[in-house]
Parts: sequence; structure tokens; C-alpha cells
Amino acid sequence: MATVTLRNARKSFGSVNIIKGVDLDIADGEFCVFVGPSGCGKSTLLRMIAGLEDITSGSLQIGGREMADVEPADRGVAMVFQSYALYPHMTVRENVGFGLKMTGHSKADIEKRTERAASMLQLGPLMDRKPSQLSGGQRQRVAIGRAIVREPDVFLFDEPLSNLDAALRVQMRIEIGKLHNDLKSTMIYVTHDQVEAMTMADKIVVLHGGIIEQVGSPLELYHRPRNMFVAGFIGSPKMNFIPVTVQAARDGNVMLSLPGDGRMTIPMKGDLPAAGTRLTLGCRPEHVAIGKEAAASGALQGTIRVAEYLGSETMFYASLADGTEIAVKGDGLAAQKSGDILPLSLPAAACHLFDAQSNAILNGDLTR
Amino acid sequence: MFPTPIARTAPWVQRIYKWLLPVALVLWLLPLIGIAVTSIRPSSDLAAGNYFGWPSGFNFIENYSTVFENSNIGWYILNSFKVTIPTVVGAVGLSCLTGYALAVYKFRSNLIVFFMFVAGNFVPFQILAIPVRNLTLSLGMYNTTTGLVMFHVAFQTGFCTLFMRNFIKGLPFALIESARVEGVSEWKIFWHIVMPLMRPAIAALSVLIFTFIWNDYFWATVMAQSADVRPVTAGMNELKGQWKVAWELIAAASIIAALPPVAMFFLMQKHFIAGLTLGATKG
Repeated sequence: MATVTLRNARKSFGSVNIIKGVDLDIADGEFCVFVGPSGCGKSTLLRMIAGLEDITSGSLQIGGREMADVEPADRGVAMVFQSYALYPHMTVRENVGFGLKMTGHSKADIEKRTERAASMLQLGPLMDRKPSQLSGGQRQRVAIGRAIVREPDVFLFDEPLSNLDAALRVQMRIEIGKLHNDLKSTMIYVTHDQVEAMTMADKIVVLHGGIIEQVGSPLELYHRPRNMFVAGFIGSPKMNFIPVTVQAARDGNVMLSLPGDGRMTIPMKGDLPAAGTRLTLGCRPEHVAIGKEAAASGALQGTIRVAEYLGSETMFYASLADGTEIAVKGDGLAAQKSGDILPLSLPAAACHLFDAQSNAILNGDLTR
Repeated sequence: MFPTPIARTAPWVQRIYKWLLPVALVLWLLPLIGIAVTSIRPSSDLAAGNYFGWPSGFNFIENYSTVFENSNIGWYILNSFKVTIPTVVGAVGLSCLTGYALAVYKFRSNLIVFFMFVAGNFVPFQILAIPVRNLTLSLGMYNTTTGLVMFHVAFQTGFCTLFMRNFIKGLPFALIESARVEGVSEWKIFWHIVMPLMRPAIAALSVLIFTFIWNDYFWATVMAQSADVRPVTAGMNELKGQWKVAWELIAAASIIAALPPVAMFFLMQKHFIAGLTLGATKG
């Protein structure tokens, strides 16, 4: 059991800065997911915690102990690799017990821990097979078993499910979640799959270009993104961004002009922007309303470019008067088709406003 | 499919193929066939100038037994083994270590050291003959099996290191990292994880080096003079005779000398081919 604390942690390879100052607190027993586009430094950050990469500057503490100069083996961490990293010449049993054997644990102890991990992960019938005789999901379970037997304070997962097919990924996701419930250890999990992040995490850390964009619970990130990057990254299909101009702002309301001739009013807290300010309005596809009410409001119109009928829902990809692309989620019975004019309206309560320059959010907190 | 299998080409292509292939094979093997036939000729054939014609008699047993009677070929073969086996063990063993170090550890001069190992292969060894001879003389290793082994090991390690380093580079690095996180010491990682995975490379390289060293003639003549030390390639010189060259005996001895590497090739064919392609594909 341990907390993980990073203070101004930096990593550079030569003159290239990969991690540009990360401050992060991960509580004991928390399931923390690092998420971000490729090259954002999420794997590097995990490897820094594991001790596989040196920390260029800053501090890393695990369980309150400074770890920057501690060997990986002495950090109390266990890591599960994307490629599973099973030793191909050893059986499952040998794979799971290898680390313990090499670090001088007694035979009885190894036996006991291996059996425990095997029963936890249903590896029993596979114990005497070689990794080449296992399926992808089984291999990943062995890799997790190898981590469990070390009884680490912190589990580190580096994109563990990205080599599995979709169905297996869902199943393993649930299994890892269960494992976290059983073991109650701190777990840090790197993924680029935001569904994994949303479903598994207690806390999501969104990384971009080597810095943390936002830390929060999945729904916090979804409903209260701190900037356009997080707003666009979390959620699929991604949030729509529509350029708007402030017409007038008074009494806690801003009136915006939308592409085309439409207008809408959004209630806003704090300092109001001056008239004429250009802003970006964000609205998720599932919040954009279509149909009669939308037609009545007359706020916005889009020409449908592509319609995807998924049965349970219909996805429309439309373009607005100024060419802005917008995605709209309609119900499964929606009959509009490509080329149709789609009347749209944006519910004020579901809209976010972003400053066009700084990307900082000005309004929009759906969790209020 | 490319290339098109011969069985699926036009009939005239198949006919040409069936004719040309044996012809090419015979042409390619001609020197070997020449030696093999010479080794069973009576010496009178050679005296009469019948070098390439049909032998007037078949002196297989006579020629081959004369080789063993008139020379110490058995001793020379033993010498060859005494040079070849330690060299294979030494060069392959050393290169496992150097290859591992160069493939796994990041240190400042890693590439420079690696290039030096590789560059050594480009030095024509003939120009080294005199310095090496002088060096062995002053080290007291001239004309000793140890001296020959030492120099073979030194020269072969460059190529072996290139081979091993590239092979280890091709292994998934996550295996090593995973073991490190598990607290396995670097030596144990090398011994318990990397070495077992290197088995195909070790087998392939051993077969290659065995053939290289067994067939070496140059260093065998430069660094060894006495019959006590000379391996079979240099030793069969003894059969030359004082007044005339007994070609039929030299040919028979050559065939005998070539048997161990040929046997090695056929027994370990799989590894041999792997050895020729391993470095190329795993780089």
C-alpha cells in the first residue's frame, strides 16, 4: 500500500524534453489512469515511476520514500508490459515464480504465492504450458500473475490490453477492475483508449506534450474539461467546437452569434467577455438537439454530409453555414439522410465556452 | 507468387531448367570432382598426363591407406580439433558477453566500440601476418597451439560480436526490463533469460566458426612450423614428397581433411543456414 507523489518531475533525452514538469499525487489504493495521444509522454512517466528511466530532475516518492536513486526492484512496484514480456523458454509456473526464485525466496513461499496468483487469475490448468501455447488474453493474465506474486505496493500497467481484440479487451478490463477491488493496491495504468480510462479509473491524468492538462475523476473530465484539449480528447465522438462571437453580455448572460444567422444566450458566471470577443463554443454530439424543438428555435442549421445508422442511435456528420463540421447523435429511428438540411439547437446548459486564444474554459460546468 | 514455381512455368522453360540445373551443378562441383577422382587414381595416371580422363584403375583403398601410412594425418586432424574447438568455445563465449554488453547497455562509447569490432573484419589479415608472427614470437607463443587459438579467438570475436549483438538487439527488450523490475541481477538476467534465448544463435555461430577455423590455411602456416602443432590443412604439405608431388595422395588427404566440416554442415544444416541469415534479418 503506498501513495505516489511526483514533484516537478522532468525527463529529457539529450536536448529533447519529454516530461516537462509533472506534479501529481496518487492516493493509496487509487486506480490512476494516464491517458493522452501518442507521444505525450505517458509511457515515459510510467517508466520513470518504475525506475526504467532516470528522472532528469524533480522528485518521485513512493510511500513517502524518495525513489529517484532507488533501483527498480527496490521500489515496491511491479510492472505489466504491453508485449507481456513473458520469458518464452519458461513454463507459466516458472514465469510467475522466476523473480521470486532469483531474489532468494524459499521454495515453499514461491509455491504458496504462485498458487494464490494462479487461483486469482484462473491460471490453474495453464501452469505447465509455455507462453507460445497460450492465447493473448491468457498471456496477459500470466503477466499480471507475475506482477501479483511480488505483492507490490504499486502496480504499473503499460497499455496492457492494446494487443488484445475488442471482446477480450472488455473482459480483461473487468478482470483488472476486480483485481483492484480484491487487492486494493495502488495501480497506475497507461492507455490511449479513453473507454478504458473512463471505465476503470478513480482518477484520470490527461497528458499532452509532456505536461498534465487536467487531473480528475472520469465524469469531472467529461463534464468539466479545463480546456479545449481535454474537452476534445475525452469523449467519443469528440466534442463539437463552433466559432462564435459575443454580441452582448450583461446580467450574467452572454448573447452569442452562431454561424449562419442564429443566436443563443448562455448564462455565465464571473467576468463577462466584452462584446465582439471571439470564442469557441463546445457542445458534445449527444447534447445537440435535432427535430421539432430545434426547428422552432431556428438557432442553427447543418447540411448532413454523412449519416451512420447504428440501430440504437444515428450519427450525423453535418456542416454549418461557415463550413464548421459538427457531429450530432440522434435516436435510432431518425430518418434524415445525407444532403438533408438538419435544424439544430444547442441547449445552453450543455454548452462550454472556450477562449479562442488561451483555450481556457470560460463557462460550462455540467456537474453544477 | 514470386518467383513462379518451376512446375507452373511453360514446358520449354521446365525442359531448359531440367537440363541446365545439372550442368550448372557439375560445373560448380568440377574442382571437387577433380580432387575426388584424383584421390583414387594410380600415380601412373598422373605421370602419364591423364589428369582429367577416365582413371586407368581405382586405387581407393591403396591411396587412402598410404595417406595414413606416409604421413601423420591422424595427428594433424587431432591438432585441428585442438585448435578449432577451443577457438569456437572462446570466440562464441566471448562474443556472447560482448554482444550482450553492446546490445543491452547504453554507455557513451557503445557505438564506437561496436564499430571497432566490426571494422576489424575489414582489415585484410594478410597484412597482419608479419606483425602477428613477431608478436607471437616475443610472447613466446609462436608455434604453439595456444598461440594459434589465441589469435583465432581474437580475429573471430569481431565477427561473432557483430552477429551476437545484432541477435540480442532483436530480442524483445521488455524481457530484460521486466526482469529488472522483478529484481533479478544483471548476471542472472544474462544467464537465465538471454542465454537460453541465444541458443539458436550460439548453435549457428559455432557451426560457422568451426568451418572457418578448420579450413584455415593461412594462420596455420604463418604461426605454426612443427608437426606437433600444425593442423591438417597445413600438415598435408608433408605428403608433397621430396622429388615429385604425389597429387593423388594430397587429393586423398584433402578429402579426409574436408570431412569434419562437411559432416558438420550436413548434420547441422539447419543451424548453418540460420547462421547465414540470422544476422541479416534480425538487425
